[in-house]
Amino acid sequence: MFAVFEHTADLGIRVEAPTLPEALADAARGLFTVIAGDLGQVQPLVEETFTVPGSDPTWLLYDFLGELHAAFEVRRMLFREFRVTITDDGLAATATGERYDPTRHVLAHEVKAITQHALAVDRGPNRCTATYIVDI
Amino acid sequence: MSECLPLERLDDVTLRIPRSARPGMRVDGLIFADERLEPLLRGDRAAEQVANVAFLPGIQTASLAMPDIHWGYGFCIGGVCGTDPAAGGVVSPGGVGYDINCGVRLVRTNLTLADARPLIVPLVDQLIRDIPVGVGQGGSRVFSPAELRALMQEGVSWLARRGLATADDVACVEAEGCIPGARPELVSDRALARGADQCGTVGAGNHFIEVQVVDRVADERVASAFGLHAGQICVLIHSGSRGLGYQVCDDALRALREAPAKYGIELPDRQLVCAPVESPEGTAYLGAMRAAANYAFCNRQLLMWQVREVFERVFGKPWHALGMTLLYDVAHNIAKLEPHAVGGTTKEVCVHRKGATRAFPAGHHDIPERYREVGQPVIIPGDMGRASWVLVGGPRSLERSFGTTCHGAGRCLSRTAATKAAKGRDIRNELERAGVIARSRSREGLAEEQPAAYKDVDVVVDVVHRAGLSLKVARLVPLGVIKG
Repeated sequence: MFAVFEHTADLGIRVEAPTLPEALADAARGLFTVIAGDLGQVQPLVEETFTVPGSDPTWLLYDFLGELHAAFEVRRMLFREFRVTITDDGLAATATGERYDPTRHVLAHEVKAITQHALAVDRGPNRCTATYIVDI
Repeated sequence: MSECLPLERLDDVTLRIPRSARPGMRVDGLIFADERLEPLLRGDRAAEQVANVAFLPGIQTASLAMPDIHWGYGFCIGGVCGTDPAAGGVVSPGGVGYDINCGVRLVRTNLTLADARPLIVPLVDQLIRDIPVGVGQGGSRVFSPAELRALMQEGVSWLARRGLATADDVACVEAEGCIPGARPELVSDRALARGADQCGTVGAGNHFIEVQVVDRVADERVASAFGLHAGQICVLIHSGSRGLGYQVCDDALRALREAPAKYGIELPDRQLVCAPVESPEGTAYLGAMRAAANYAFCNRQLLMWQVREVFERVFGKPWHALGMTLLYDVAHNIAKLEPHAVGGTTKEVCVHRKGATRAFPAGHHDIPERYREVGQPVIIPGDMGRASWVLVGGPRSLERSFGTTCHGAGRCLSRTAATKAAKGRDIRNELERAGVIARSRSREGLAEEQPAAYKDVDVVVDVVHRAGLSLKVARLVPLGVIKG
């Protein structure tokens, strides 16, 4: 589950989930919701895989979101569903969606980048929260 | 958060956060704000960010903020920080921001309000049809990696050689559209891919192209030197280095991740990540940043070129017959090495301007010769319902703010609060009733950027005028705007 929180110039996403992989998947859904507004307009037509090396959950979040953001910026991919697993080497994920089609998709925001300001992952028993702010 | 920090009033336009407010601050924080703006500061976390910047190694004089200050990420928006490379001073990509050389340019015309008013609707409709604006909108010109590298090395002159800029255009851009020392070879493939079709596109967020009329002249002598007079139509262009610049900043933040530990720098916010200016990491960032800055100058040049083409179509005359000359183009997100007098000694300072505009006074050698006698033109976009300003570099800017002034009105409502405030309203109709034709690619664009989301630019400009950072020349009001 994610929620958008207030930031004067930009937008923040706060995620709460039972586990780190679920929190990372929700964080990814939050990013594409900021970009596309309504994820219902994105069809699950293509599946792509992503791997991110590392072990620090905060940097895994940051680098994972960075890779997804680049997929939109460079290849115009919009994703709506995510499955994340944590491996010994880092993170492995599949993302499902389709290429942006200006005749069908209405986009909401241009995300310049994922910032490191207020970037955090907090893990507790049966609970993981993640926070990040995107530059609009 | 800001309530925890002491804000001491030094004079009618300056507040101080004393160095003693937090262990680790190397200098005071100084915020230019009068009693009208002070309450806004207390409801925002920006003052805390001014204090955080005061931790940076080598910071000189004070951590400064302009009256359009608001909460950013790492640095506040409206922040100014000068560091001394010879004293271990750092450069921080967060002190420039993702949108490297986000900036503005103002184009004059010889049209009057009477000429423009009857054609404003078709003009704005044609602008949004012909000029790429909004998320996911690429431009018609696609540059290869080799072309992009040449463009980033040479700046606007590269476009001039291809017939997309005149010598006069080049002369009226800060640094003549090319900041020396660019290292395009350090710009990543991902940045090149993001920038390939975006040179000549507006983007989204707070970027726009606005048709304006000079509403009031505050200084006849300087306005005349700038070629401005009451009733004149102008066009204001606000955009930056697009995806290429965002990626250069992102790449730098990743590359610098370990730099604070390597150089023994303690930071109160991860987004302030930095490296000594003279370190390999610092020089690499500055080289790539300058390349992105040159891309941004070219982006605004190509946007102006397209604006000229639209005006030609709508008014049926060549652009030069419409007097569409460039007044000036100036960055408001940049870091530059500049000589400044600090404590009686002139030294090279790395000046970070994050949502702040260079404002050199009359006589400064870095001002185009045609304006040198009066001072550097400063262009301050306000909001799309009220006003924008042309100012001139003030007599006290070098002494008080490393030759810097504000960059806009500054937000006072978050995007979510602005959207909430727009619920059930039709912002486009409201603006039209107020005489402004607004067109946007997204419903979020107008709601989040509505006039009420911004401070009153007249108040902000009044503060920098009274502080002597930049002086009022002319006020412009909007007639039509396109946004992302």
